[in-house]
Amino acid sequence: MKAVVVENLKYRYPSTERLALSGVSFEVEQGEFIGIIGKNLAGKSTLCEALVGLVPHFYKGAYGGRVVVDDVEVLSSSVSELARHIGIVFQNPFTQITAAKLTVYEEVAFGLENLGFQREEMVKRIDYVLKLLGLYAYKDRNPFELSGGQMQRLAIASIIAMKPSIIVLDEPTSQLDPLGSEEVFKAVQSLSKEGITIIMVEQKMEKIAQYADKIILMHEGHLVDFGTPEEVFSRPDLESYGVEPPVFTSIAKKLGIKDNNTGLYPVTLEQMRRLMIGEPHRS
Amino acid sequence: MARALSLYVEADTFVQKLDPMVKLLYILVAILIPFVILPFRWVGAAFIVLSCLALLYARVFARVVPLLGFSFLILISIVIIQGLFMPGNKTPAINILGLTFYKEGLLYALTLCIRVLDVLLAFALLVLTTRPSDLIQSLVKRGLSPRFGYVLSSALQVIPQMMSQVGSIMDAQRSRGLETEGNLWTRLKAFLPLIGPVVMSSLLETRERAMALEVRGFSASGKKTFLYERESSTLDRVLQWTLIVVLILSIAARFVLV
Amino acid sequence: MNKKSMWSFSFSTPVLVLIPVAVGINYVGKLFAQLLKLPLWLDSIGTVIASMLSGPIVGAISGAINNIIYGLTMDPISFVYALTSVAIGLTVGIMAYRGRISNLWRAVVVGLVVALVAAVVSTPLNVIFWGGQTGNVWGDALYAYLIAHGVPVWLSSFLDELVVDLPDKVATVIIAFLIFVSLPKRLVQMYEGEEALEKLD
Repeated sequence: MKAVVVENLKYRYPSTERLALSGVSFEVEQGEFIGIIGKNLAGKSTLCEALVGLVPHFYKGAYGGRVVVDDVEVLSSSVSELARHIGIVFQNPFTQITAAKLTVYEEVAFGLENLGFQREEMVKRIDYVLKLLGLYAYKDRNPFELSGGQMQRLAIASIIAMKPSIIVLDEPTSQLDPLGSEEVFKAVQSLSKEGITIIMVEQKMEKIAQYADKIILMHEGHLVDFGTPEEVFSRPDLESYGVEPPVFTSIAKKLGIKDNNTGLYPVTLEQMRRLMIGEPHRS
Repeated sequence: MARALSLYVEADTFVQKLDPMVKLLYILVAILIPFVILPFRWVGAAFIVLSCLALLYARVFARVVPLLGFSFLILISIVIIQGLFMPGNKTPAINILGLTFYKEGLLYALTLCIRVLDVLLAFALLVLTTRPSDLIQSLVKRGLSPRFGYVLSSALQVIPQMMSQVGSIMDAQRSRGLETEGNLWTRLKAFLPLIGPVVMSSLLETRERAMALEVRGFSASGKKTFLYERESSTLDRVLQWTLIVVLILSIAARFVLV
Repeated sequence: MNKKSMWSFSFSTPVLVLIPVAVGINYVGKLFAQLLKLPLWLDSIGTVIASMLSGPIVGAISGAINNIIYGLTMDPISFVYALTSVAIGLTVGIMAYRGRISNLWRAVVVGLVVALVAAVVSTPLNVIFWGGQTGNVWGDALYAYLIAHGVPVWLSSFLDELVVDLPDKVATVIIAFLIFVSLPKRLVQMYEGEEALEKLD
């Protein structure tokens, strides 16, 4: 079973004229790490919202095509039902705190209480995710007292406590300082190691190149490319889509360092180093 | 960070541990009987004494004083105004500074004071000895929509959050040249540029929070569960039935007397 | 586009998140009024904005919860005056929902009606608890003067309350109106209610 299947997805927000998404199609296998890149208003956030059902159920508007997540069709389901299969973390750590709970521990329980889990199961899951995200020491703190990075990790913990097999992250580090960003990337990496399918919108290309198995390039509502980081970042027309490749790729492009078998440029420091030494390209 | 709204005082007495619904029932009884069923001054006074005893036992009596503070000044002005001016004042009672206070007015003021204190102390008992989250959870378990339980719970933190922005907004606007002192018109004009940003940013955040709630299963159908449950104790049941019996007896007494 | 009846009882998640914020706006308004030493309460601006955004029921609930929270955390007598807050929410909702307040003058009219309604609802409460007084110095001075001159208690109390409410509620509705018209359209739509989902080919 594929984790995500998107077929010819089209969407227009209410009271707007242009399509936010025009005929997007792709598939994601379980356990994959997918990065989504593109300039502002390319449709990246809309695509994330469409995977979890906020598009169309929260916004209404005009919807066409099909999205199937974990074998559940988004259009005929609901955001709450989909929450058992797919979770999402947004940019702003502050507004993801429910404000209804006084401790980190209870905050994580919020989603589990809504979905009707039994107490013993709740405790197991909360303990597990808090330890996984390094928040167990803060379990009795008020969520609003945490730092930005900690709050974002709390958001992630609250989502994965509901045990979705897929998690979407829409620029989760854009409002964090470098330390907080690093905490979040490490957390996402450990989730990926657990086998959770990751779909992440990111502006930090070096990070995406490092972690992603595949990259989706969005532009004005269209899916322009869907391939490995090497394939996507090696595109000569990348800049016309408002995207800069990772710094190593830019350098490699200027110096003409590429893998002669595939014709692709390196996307990480490690790859570039190997190419310069003369080792064969390894993904 | 701004503290969540709560007057709860922690102490290891049975009052704190009591089911919040029993305390709510007490408030209902403390209002119905002295106000409606047996409207005599001594009945109200009896409830006042009862509430005070409970507050003392629960070790929260000291915190009652600030709660009373709001009403205290009004009560004094009531004593003065009713004592001097109540229509129907006939019998002079005391003379202070050349002003005559009348018995009818003073007795009426006493009735009002007893009523206010009765209500205040009964509520104080609930509010000082109950965690807001426990009270809300009690209500949800007995049928309040969990979505409304959320509204109440989140209000207790959202409100102090918004209030804590007030200081920095005033500083920021002042540094941009906003005049906040001077004549009435100047100060009135300053109101909108001060409250505007707070309202705007808070409302914009509500969209994000609403989406975050949705993806946490907020609108899920089916029964919600609770991380922390409390069991009903024998004392809860005993007190609950005692209050109900008292209420019934007072209604019976009313029919006997009238 | 389907328009919900103003009396519908379905509460979408954005509306539920709005209510605590409306109460917060009430609190913040009151605080700014105190800091600026204004002779007005300005403690219902949030309730009025909620009514303008989501109709009379949501406005009434915002008002009720405002008093419940205030009663639970500051002054228990507030609980009883929830009736007044509910009345304000209902009034504004009925008169103002969905942009029926089109200009400033209409806002003034709504403010006057709200002041009247608030005074009418508060007066019986004031008489029962405070013998007719309101706790406002000027209003109570007027009250004392009136009953000393033989004016019936109910009327004196009503005038006491009205003198306090007229400037306050008119100012409140005007301020709420000015804020409301500067809100981005997408935000207002979020609270408006059910749109139908359209199909795209």
